[in-house]
Amino acid sequence: MRVYLFGFASDDFLGRVIVTPDQRTVAQLADQLVAWGLAPERGGPVTVRNEAGDILDPAATIRAAGLGNGDIFKVERR
Amino acid sequence: MVLRRDDWLDLARKVDWTPRYVDERELFPEEISGRPWLTHDAWRNWNEAYRTTYREYVANQRDKDSAVLGVRAALSKPRLFDELDPGWVELVKFHNGAVALAEYAGAVAELRMARFGRDSAWRTMASLGALDEIRHTQIPLLIGHDLLAHDGNFDWTHKAFHTNQWLILAARHLFDDMFLAADAIDLAIQLNFVFETGFTNLQFMAMAAMADRAHHHLFEKTVASIQTDEARHAQIGHPVLRTLIENGSRERAQYLIDKMWWRCWRLFLALSGTAMEYLAPLTARTRSFKEFMTEWVTEQFMKNLAEFDLEKPWFWDLFIEELDYAHHSLQLGLYTYRTTLWFDVAMPDRAERDWLNEKYPRWEETYGALWEQLEQRWEAGGEANTLAYGLPALCNLCQLPALFIRPGRNTACTVEMGGRRYLFCSEPCRWIFEQEKARFADHKSLVDRIVAGQAPGKLTDLHRWMGLEAPVETGKDLRRGLDRWRLDPVPTA
Repeated sequence: MRVYLFGFASDDFLGRVIVTPDQRTVAQLADQLVAWGLAPERGGPVTVRNEAGDILDPAATIRAAGLGNGDIFKVERR
Repeated sequence: MVLRRDDWLDLARKVDWTPRYVDERELFPEEISGRPWLTHDAWRNWNEAYRTTYREYVANQRDKDSAVLGVRAALSKPRLFDELDPGWVELVKFHNGAVALAEYAGAVAELRMARFGRDSAWRTMASLGALDEIRHTQIPLLIGHDLLAHDGNFDWTHKAFHTNQWLILAARHLFDDMFLAADAIDLAIQLNFVFETGFTNLQFMAMAAMADRAHHHLFEKTVASIQTDEARHAQIGHPVLRTLIENGSRERAQYLIDKMWWRCWRLFLALSGTAMEYLAPLTARTRSFKEFMTEWVTEQFMKNLAEFDLEKPWFWDLFIEELDYAHHSLQLGLYTYRTTLWFDVAMPDRAERDWLNEKYPRWEETYGALWEQLEQRWEAGGEANTLAYGLPALCNLCQLPALFIRPGRNTACTVEMGGRRYLFCSEPCRWIFEQEKARFADHKSLVDRIVAGQAPGKLTDLHRWMGLEAPVETGKDLRRGLDRWRLDPVPTA
């Protein structure tokens, strides 16, 4: 199922809407958000958290990570 | 013998008829006169600080209009417009689109108080206030019409509020809440006490000072003239607030103040903060937006609150923190989504960046690298490389992008209600929503409409849906102009 989420990357200046199948992984979701930002070429590890601040497993699917329509996720770039 | 003014004015101000065919509650229903519903005895001491008669009002307004129209006639030469700084012209276009018809909504609000305000003196003041607001609509429309000869996008002075452009949706959401869907008591607190005594000084007097230095004397005269009216009818708020507090409604008064302070702050950082520091030429900048806010808005408003022994809004610390960042973050949003605007926007040049860093010591550290990335993207791939293509997350209360307050400091939050999850840019926006769920819950943000298929998701179609004819009306980089690629036909599958 496709879901829409609100992603906030730590080096970006605004939240962005991501529409994606919820079978994709959390890591792929983070990549998609970073690709929309201003510095996609800067690689490096990321940490993905939900609104409550829990770290999400990058290998888990979006659905398994508990993210659904209208949820926030945060990508911390180091 | 003709009576002297002071012999009849108090009698004329206080003509409160005793209804014979309906009772007072029917004449002034709570739904539109406001809560708490009090008998007229509670409102009997409603008094404005500066009293005026209709005769005085007409004479003063005639003089003020003559002064504005005199400057308009004297400064109508095309070269005077051509000599204006290009950034300043865009600032005026932005201001006119966002403000002219909002003033008309203000006239509707004043008329509601002119009928449903609970004391005759209040209704008299509001009648004059409605005439003021009509004037504040007509003057910008007239000046905007004159400017059409120089720049077709000045038709957004009138057009903007009839479109679904996203900034205008945000402005309309606020003004509907504050003006059009409010009862007389809420109006007096929200419009007169908070918006007019708290914020309009910033938009009108600060802008007038900047217009003087930008050599746009017609704009200076116009906004300064408007503010003299605002200052008069703004005084409606104080006696209404006093009556509420004296009759056990301190908590409600505090709520209305807190709510509207936050909502006005959101709009003003978007409208005034970005325009003052990214469109006004350096030579016109007397003080920073933060300095204007601190001196003209915050300090004055604190005195008003102290007068009534009211508290600072609970989110004050966040507001103070945002003063250093929020409008700078929004400017990046305006810049990267500029094709969705009716005015051009600027990337700050070296001198402007130095000025910003002097006024906001953490500006370069926070925003410098982001602007440099955009510069590099221009060099590497032209304009197409500097635009945002994904949708921004929009707040379900203020309708502005959820970008606050700065990179790395994100205050966005959500709430679930009725099977729908709502996004907010900040705790205060969520708090306001939760206080009046039934009022706000059915509204769909632009993103909600796109997700629901009620607005087009394709950017070129979205331009049209927002009332923007691309590429002629859509915003550009102020200094680089229209990139050639935007003239190319849009490829189709």
